[in-house]
Amino acid sequence: MPTPALGLLLVLPALAVILLLFVVPLAASVAGAFEVGGGFGFGNFIKTFELYTSDIVFTLMIVSLSTAIIGALALAIGGYLTLGENPRAVALLRWLYRWPMFVPFIVVGQVLRTFLAKNGLMNNVLIGAGLITPMEAASFLDWRGIVIAFVWKQAPFVALLVAGAMASVDRGTLEAARNLGASRLRILLEILVPQVAGTLMVALVLSFVTMMSVLSVPLMINAQSPTMITADIAFRINAYGDYGVANALGVVSLIASAGVAWLYLRHSVKERA
Amino acid sequence: MNDDAFLRITDLSVGYGATRVLERLDLAIGKGEFVALLGASGCGKTTLLRAMAGFVTPSAGTVAVDGRDVTLMPPDRRGMALVFQSYALWPHMTVARNIGYGLKLKGLSRAAIDRRVAEIEALLGLEGLGARKPAALSGGQRQRVALGRALAVDPQILLLDEPLSNLDARIRLKVRHEIGALQRRLGITAVIVTHDREEAMAMADRVVIMEAGRIAQQGSPEEVYSRPASSFVAAFMGAENALVLEGRVAGGAVHIAAGRQSSAATLNLDGRLLSSGRLEARFRAEAVEMVVAGAQALKAEGLAIAGRVEAASYLGGGWRHSVRVGDQTLFADAARPFDGGAGVELRIPGDKLFLFNLPASTGASDTTAREAAAELSPAAPRGPVERVLQAS
Repeated sequence: MPTPALGLLLVLPALAVILLLFVVPLAASVAGAFEVGGGFGFGNFIKTFELYTSDIVFTLMIVSLSTAIIGALALAIGGYLTLGENPRAVALLRWLYRWPMFVPFIVVGQVLRTFLAKNGLMNNVLIGAGLITPMEAASFLDWRGIVIAFVWKQAPFVALLVAGAMASVDRGTLEAARNLGASRLRILLEILVPQVAGTLMVALVLSFVTMMSVLSVPLMINAQSPTMITADIAFRINAYGDYGVANALGVVSLIASAGVAWLYLRHSVKERA
Repeated sequence: MNDDAFLRITDLSVGYGATRVLERLDLAIGKGEFVALLGASGCGKTTLLRAMAGFVTPSAGTVAVDGRDVTLMPPDRRGMALVFQSYALWPHMTVARNIGYGLKLKGLSRAAIDRRVAEIEALLGLEGLGARKPAALSGGQRQRVALGRALAVDPQILLLDEPLSNLDARIRLKVRHEIGALQRRLGITAVIVTHDREEAMAMADRVVIMEAGRIAQQGSPEEVYSRPASSFVAAFMGAENALVLEGRVAGGAVHIAAGRQSSAATLNLDGRLLSSGRLEARFRAEAVEMVVAGAQALKAEGLAIAGRVEAASYLGGGWRHSVRVGDQTLFADAARPFDGGAGVELRIPGDKLFLFNLPASTGASDTTAREAAAELSPAAPRGPVERVLQAS
């Protein structure tokens, strides 16, 4: 058998899996988004933007805000793990920070429902401590709850990648800065972060895409309007069997995720140049 | 030690956990002096440098600069700049920003920083490279940028941690010379850590040889090379050939007893601090005069050893032979090669033979040396020792 044919044969199983489980469903969904009645058109998108523009904006804002907070938190955690001078505190943080990674989103949603509710644990503690009165107790089960859930769940993941990258940075570069009089904050921001920027970007893009696709958290924490795109997709399918608009919402979500990935690619190309 | 020491280290001990790296070490370095800390890996030389720089906190002792105790001060308040072994350049900054960063931290104006960076670039021959990133530089250029970054802040003391170990051999010779010349031109006090004795001798005014967290010997390059204070220093400075001999000290001379392979010899003490007993003799391959066995007797004072040539290899400028002596192999240089298997005599002039007392009891640390001793003086293995002990 000629070599090219043999090579193709070896790749075939992997190729088939990608085609059948990824490319075909994606293409069907995208095509489905343009299917109106028997033909093709923009009807689903018109309906989508009429009904869900505020939800799309809400989703993008929540996910962007979460990504920003996650990035800051991950840098703070990674920075302390790398630059911290109290070995005991560093060891404790190293042991502690990864835990949320192993908790599924749906459990995070449930935990935060009981924690953030008007009569939840958080408010009870604050009232018990005399910091607020029962009248001031407010529920956090709205966009803030979603952001808190996303940050709680995703920050450890980004911190793990960032801390790993920071650990592999030549410590001499940090000591050289300290030798010349840089404070720890300056070392973090001017020496350490620029050297792990690539890893941070990858981790944040992955995190962004993950958050775009989470359904359980908005359903459990924010069962009101506006809500996130995923909840709308579930609603369109479950309540109306309307796959057209659901697919159109999916395409919007895909475009948003692809946009972030494009930003990252552009950055990494510029970096290499 | 001189009293006008600029950098003074007193009674310094450093330990990581249970292991002691430095043990009550004293060192004084004068202003403008270039000192090399020389030693094998793990001897504590880099730890000493890092303790000077403030990256290692000593468990005891003090570091003082110009009479000011800086032991507990942060690295940037000591007036020292460290050049790292890995260079530790910031990969995301250009050459100019790398060099200028220390000045930026000091709050200098942009114009002042640019001026100083240009000065440093000119000083180190980095003109035209200011806009490049470290990844686009050669090893030698990176090394100079690292040096420039340290010099830009105008430190009182320059610390260099194996600055040449990442360069290839040819560039190393050039940079070695450049750093030495630069140090003399700037008159800056400098401390270099190295494991390369040639590097240390070529660059420094004073060589400090370290062994297991202590100073084994310090002195001018010529002094440590030709008058090693201990067997360790002699070996480290290239006197790899070792023999165990019996010697008796009397009348300003040491009388060496004949062994199976070695001749009797009488050497002037010449300032050597020796007592009678078992001696370890060390000498360099290049100190040996090699002649065919049975040649005319030795004219000057010296030790003669009989052996058989095992192999010869050309080193450029001369031949190095491995010579079987008893069950030991010694190395000896000669201008022309001797045939393998040839019987030869190795003659070592007295001033190039380093002698050290071995502990009188079984304390000889080197078992092969002890076996060699038995081999070399088998006639009366106990007799001469006892005689010598009685005499002393």
